[in-house]
Amino acid sequence: MLLWYILTLFILPFSLAAPKDSNAIHDELVKLAKANNGVIKLDERTYDLLTSPKRTWSAAVQLTAMDAKRRCAPCKEFDPSFKEVGRSWSTVPAEERNSHFFATLDFDNGMTVFQKSAPIVHVYPAAEGPRKPANGRTAPSTYDFSFGFEAGPLAEQLSHHTPIPIPYQAPFNWSRWGVLKNKWTWAVGTVLTSLVMTSGYMFTRIRGAPWSGGNGQWIAPGYQNQFGQETQVVAMIYGLLASAFLMLTVVTPYTTSPSRQKAQVYLWSVVIFIMYSVLLSLFRVKNKGYPFKLLL
Amino acid sequence: MATTTAYQVPANLSPTAIANTSSLLRIVALALISAAAIASRLFAVINFESIIHEFDPWFNYRATKVLASEGFYAFWNWFDPTAWYPLGRVVGGTIYPGLMATSGVIFYALKAINLPVDIRNICVLLAPGFSALTAWATYMFTKEMKDESAGLLAAAFIGIVPGYISRSVAGSYDNEAIAIFLLMFTFYAWIKALKTGSAFFGTVAALFYFYMVAAWGGYAFITNMIPLHALALILMGRYSGRLYVGYSSWYAVGTLASMQVPFVGFQPVRTSEHMAALGVFGLLQIIAFAELVRSHVSSKQFRALLFASVIGLGLLGTAGIVGMTYKGWIAPWTGRFYSLWDTGYAKKYIPIIASVSEHQPTAWPSFFMDLQFLIFLFPAGVIMCFRQLRDEHVFVIIYAIVASYFAGVMVRLMLTLTPVVCVAAAIAFSTLLDTYLNPEQPEEETPSAAVPSTAAPSETSSAKKGKKAAPAPATLAELVSNATGPESTKRKTGIFGLDTRLLVILNALGMLVFFVWHCTWVTSSAYSSPSVVLASANPDGSQHIIDDFREAYYWLRQNTPEDAVVMSWWDYGYQIAGMADRPTLVDNNTWNNTHIATVGKAMSSTEEVAYPILRKHDVDYVLIIFGGLIGYSGDDINKFLWMVRIAQGVWPDEIQEPNYFTRTGEYKIDDQASQTMKDSLMYKMSYYRFAELFGGQQAVDRVRGQQVPKTGPTLDYLDEAFTSENWIVRIFQVKKEDLLGRDLKSANSFDQGKKKKRSKPSSRRRAIL
Amino acid sequence: MLGPWRSSVSFFFLAIAPFVSAGHSFENTAIVRTVELGGTVVHVTTTYAVKALEDGSNIYTIALGQKEHEATSALTAKIKGQMAPLEVEKLGAQDGDFQLYDIRLPGYLKAGGTTNLVVETVQTHVTYPYPEEASQKDGQSLKYEADLLVLSPYDTAVQRTKIRSPFPQIHSYTEPNVEFTEDAPVTKSGATLTYGPYKNVFPSANKHFVAEKQQRIYVHYSYDHPVLEIVKLERAAEISHWGANLNIQDNIHLRNAGPRLKGHFSRLEHQSQAFFQRSAPHMLPGLTLHLPAGIRDVYFYDLIGNVSTSQLRTAPSVPKGSQNTQFSVLELKPRYPLMGGWNYSFTLGWDSPLADSAGWDQDLGKWIVGVPVMTVIPGTVIDEEELKIILPEGATEVEFFAPFPALNDELSTAVTYLDTTGRPAVTLRYKNLTDTHAGIVYVAYKVPFSAHLKKPLAVATALTGLFVLAFVWKRVDTRIQK
Repeated sequence: MLLWYILTLFILPFSLAAPKDSNAIHDELVKLAKANNGVIKLDERTYDLLTSPKRTWSAAVQLTAMDAKRRCAPCKEFDPSFKEVGRSWSTVPAEERNSHFFATLDFDNGMTVFQKSAPIVHVYPAAEGPRKPANGRTAPSTYDFSFGFEAGPLAEQLSHHTPIPIPYQAPFNWSRWGVLKNKWTWAVGTVLTSLVMTSGYMFTRIRGAPWSGGNGQWIAPGYQNQFGQETQVVAMIYGLLASAFLMLTVVTPYTTSPSRQKAQVYLWSVVIFIMYSVLLSLFRVKNKGYPFKLLL
Repeated sequence: MATTTAYQVPANLSPTAIANTSSLLRIVALALISAAAIASRLFAVINFESIIHEFDPWFNYRATKVLASEGFYAFWNWFDPTAWYPLGRVVGGTIYPGLMATSGVIFYALKAINLPVDIRNICVLLAPGFSALTAWATYMFTKEMKDESAGLLAAAFIGIVPGYISRSVAGSYDNEAIAIFLLMFTFYAWIKALKTGSAFFGTVAALFYFYMVAAWGGYAFITNMIPLHALALILMGRYSGRLYVGYSSWYAVGTLASMQVPFVGFQPVRTSEHMAALGVFGLLQIIAFAELVRSHVSSKQFRALLFASVIGLGLLGTAGIVGMTYKGWIAPWTGRFYSLWDTGYAKKYIPIIASVSEHQPTAWPSFFMDLQFLIFLFPAGVIMCFRQLRDEHVFVIIYAIVASYFAGVMVRLMLTLTPVVCVAAAIAFSTLLDTYLNPEQPEEETPSAAVPSTAAPSETSSAKKGKKAAPAPATLAELVSNATGPESTKRKTGIFGLDTRLLVILNALGMLVFFVWHCTWVTSSAYSSPSVVLASANPDGSQHIIDDFREAYYWLRQNTPEDAVVMSWWDYGYQIAGMADRPTLVDNNTWNNTHIATVGKAMSSTEEVAYPILRKHDVDYVLIIFGGLIGYSGDDINKFLWMVRIAQGVWPDEIQEPNYFTRTGEYKIDDQASQTMKDSLMYKMSYYRFAELFGGQQAVDRVRGQQVPKTGPTLDYLDEAFTSENWIVRIFQVKKEDLLGRDLKSANSFDQGKKKKRSKPSSRRRAIL
Repeated sequence: MLGPWRSSVSFFFLAIAPFVSAGHSFENTAIVRTVELGGTVVHVTTTYAVKALEDGSNIYTIALGQKEHEATSALTAKIKGQMAPLEVEKLGAQDGDFQLYDIRLPGYLKAGGTTNLVVETVQTHVTYPYPEEASQKDGQSLKYEADLLVLSPYDTAVQRTKIRSPFPQIHSYTEPNVEFTEDAPVTKSGATLTYGPYKNVFPSANKHFVAEKQQRIYVHYSYDHPVLEIVKLERAAEISHWGANLNIQDNIHLRNAGPRLKGHFSRLEHQSQAFFQRSAPHMLPGLTLHLPAGIRDVYFYDLIGNVSTSQLRTAPSVPKGSQNTQFSVLELKPRYPLMGGWNYSFTLGWDSPLADSAGWDQDLGKWIVGVPVMTVIPGTVIDEEELKIILPEGATEVEFFAPFPALNDELSTAVTYLDTTGRPAVTLRYKNLTDTHAGIVYVAYKVPFSAHLKKPLAVATALTGLFVLAFVWKRVDTRIQK
């Protein structure tokens, strides 16, 4: 019993001195991180520990205000993403995991720390040790919310500061099939379909029309008849004309140098005119007695 | 304003003045467009006369006359004993009465204000009148998509585009005449309901949907388009209260209303065509509930989960529907509808549908003929819709895909493609005009920021992020600023100089003018002939009218007993009923395949076989169309093979198609024609005494371009009753049994003093029946 | 220029004026009856050489056999060589054997005084095709039946009946044996048959004679024109002062009354006949109608639309009252050649300037409009006609003067375009009309100025109402919550 008491007397100074030792701090942080699946809940003291000037680790700190009375809607919205990223970081192998920490500090636990609005994410690079950035900048950088509050981009950006990229798995999330999400894939699909259909593809399908007639003729005689090849040619002409129109309408106005813009306008106008006359001549072949023609 | 302008525009105008002027101009423009739409459809009346066209319109006209003369209830319970003799037809329950009701109402209304317009003229002019309304509806619809100017363009396009005129010239008194207006207006109301989320517009859509259901079988198109749109929006995560209100009110009211049409009845809950609507309705309810829950919790995962479960439930529902279909509680797709997907289906199983010319697939020239330059503006317009992908644009996009597919499969469905093409083209075209008419010039930029010049694609790809513009690193900031596009950097984009503007504008105007020429030419030359009356040119170039059909029909009407039954191929059923006013065996409402096959059999078998059939059906006269003399290609010999096929479908062992070809497999009517062909009733009637007309010379069939045998066929059981001036219509009377009980063949040969020919006893016995 | 109306008016009144009838005694020195055979119409002219037996006799009585009477659609009596028609009064039927008419002579004859009385009758439906069926190749023959003797209540010294056929072939005819003559009862020279002369025929207008002596004769002759008959003619004449227009529309149901077509119609035959100009006599390829001069917008359609096969040559309009010799000629071609027994019903109509047929009568203070009873198709009988004259809206004091009495007439109202109260309409009905009836019905009426204003007012109010509605609808805000 007495012996115990003496022992404690001995140990006490050590234990008091312990915080000074970065390894000890590190271990503590690791524990804290593990305790709160990957995200350390900070208060002012632990915040100082985490961001201590001679840290060998990097850290991403979320300053937020989850308390209802703070009425911080964005905080509420962003918090899950941050938690999610932190969780997914906790799944990486230990040595990487322990060299970067995720932490969140609630306003009510660390008023003094807050300087700007919330939520905000500071990324502290390591100040010492192997992971100290080459340029030596150890000042914290701030996550840019223009990437949105979603977890995906957050993980993506933070990965620049972690030893290995954060293995963030979106939950059951649409952003997976980004291709399908991108409307332009759909746009292309739609336009192609309608082009093919309006150039008589179904006719060739149903009638089983040949790809092209014998002796190299590729235009089927007769108004209500056509070869497979015609479908392609006509579809392409339509497509070209349509895109020429789009160019004139959508692209040209954004050309900021007058000369280049002028060039474009003339180019596309001429293209339209020529292709149109080609189309007409083609039609006149199919439908004799069609009275109108442009160039040819 | 810092920006320079390419040309001077009057600056000091009060906004009210501008607003008033523009609205006035709009009204004037719409009025002119309507006038043009109506006028361009009157070629038929001017070149020929105010007459009902084609085939089906004659039935509609007849039905309308019943409605006008005997009132609505009589019409509703009208049983027509003269059609499908001897079966008769319950007309009231087997038609879409919308068309007749419409003209009936107009007729009575005019009568009420002492304008006793002849019902025929109302019927003839109904289609042009409604085309004006269609133009207006299209204007409203496109206005929702872009703005008034686009709307006016669209209205002008649809007003004169041949693809629509082809089914709505004066005199083509068919369901399509009013259907397209209803289609466009229903869609407009739907879009409106979707945008404002007002139950009122939802109900308006429902009411017009009901009108559509009552007017045209094609209403199934709406029934599936709107749910498709709703579904797409949901999948795009664009569910909203507006969608819920709009759709629910449309579906609930619309479906209940549509079930009031006798011909539709319980189909909306029974047949697959309507299941999509029902399914989406259910799905919406689920989602609405989910959204309710979601609004109270805030965890992202939970939401995702909920969403997944919603989708799951939706799929479950669809699965359920499919299951019920297999169980047979829900009728599967009807043949006509199904043949749109499995394009080989019709030819195999429903030759009657396949035999109709307007059910053939469309070759590209028809597309160009019907839509001209709209057809390639159309994709551009679709892209425009994608650019600012608002809910209503999704509709246009879906419509574009679906309609272009359908139009490709069936010529007749070109009609449903036309409106969306006009709308899309109008959007593209007016955007072009907006860009190049806008007098503002952007100021030139320092080359440093020349980056965004290629920003068109990148802009849109990052459009989403752009919504939350926030302070961000420089490189980012630029992207974002591009992304926000027209709004933030309006002054940066635009056209420099006047020449560029002039060039493009002139080019565009040229296209428009050309389009007008094209439409006028197509309409006047191709789409304005009432197929009842044929036009040819005299040597001196003046118009010569070939009026054989009416000549023969009128002869029937005036000089045969009221109850004389006329047999003809079904194409002419409605015309005979309408013009000759005589009972017919089959007509264009092809509901009874067997009956049609019977006629086909009679036509394609020998006299001996055909005679008992004719007698059993009390046929007094047989009417056929024969173009051999003046080269009218749409005659019965050319349709003959379909008769054979359809007959073969029912009596495979008695009628075989191959027998009607020559050994070399050709379809001929000259000496080499197969014996079966030569013995067939149709052949005999067509060429009866035809060769004699040429005196000594070699008789030539001008349609087939083949030489007709010198010794023409002889008829024992029939008797030529009437032949029209150009031999197009030939009417034969069926002889009664011989008084002495001989079979008519021997009786005939006896009368001609010949020695009794030995003919197959079997057939003789059958003949005496 | 009011002449014609005046005379017709007076004639009208006289015709219905009653007069005392008293049988006087005459004797016929000679009776000659001439029958001009035709298609459905037969003209009979009977000349009575009359000798009065007592003074002051001016009522001469003639008799028609019952059948003849029934077939007669018009009867006029004149003194030979004079134009003015004499008054004829029909006496009551003599129990179904014959029919008596009293004719008032212009002057009083003293005993022994003579005059020549000419009685013209038009008979319809007295011929019938025989044989009743003819094939496309065959010719066409008709049979005419009539009484042999001319009946008369007086002694007749000599009477004869001449029957003239328009075409030389007379296939057969009755050869009666008559007691009034010794030599041949009938002689045939060319296309003319002569029955008689029969001498000293005693008064025959009595039951006994008709029963004993009278007998029927028939003539079977060939007739190479199509025999036409208009089963029903509905003529509507609409007068519009606003349009200064008289619109006349005929609904005609035409029938070929010739022999029924035997067997069937063969276009081949028809075309070859037409080619060799040997068309069947009973086939009607078309009609040539003489319409009034100065007409416009002629339309010709039937139940299923316009008939494009017709030619029109219009003549310029002629001033009213002047002797009109020129016509607009319409060559009308039915849809199909009209074979024996075939029907064709169609509608024919035209507009003509109102001034040509209407005028303002000062002393009556009324408008007077003349509407022809029918368009004459020579040798064609109109079995039934309904003539409807529709006057301008608001016309009052309507009266009409027909050239010959109608079977019945009525006054009704017809409502048509932009009418508010409807228009008075006069309807007249006739039977068995022939070309002798080609007359003009005159209608007199007043139109107050206010009536003229009706239409524009109605239209104006309607439009104003429309605009007001639009105005209100645009301006009034119907939203529930702002």
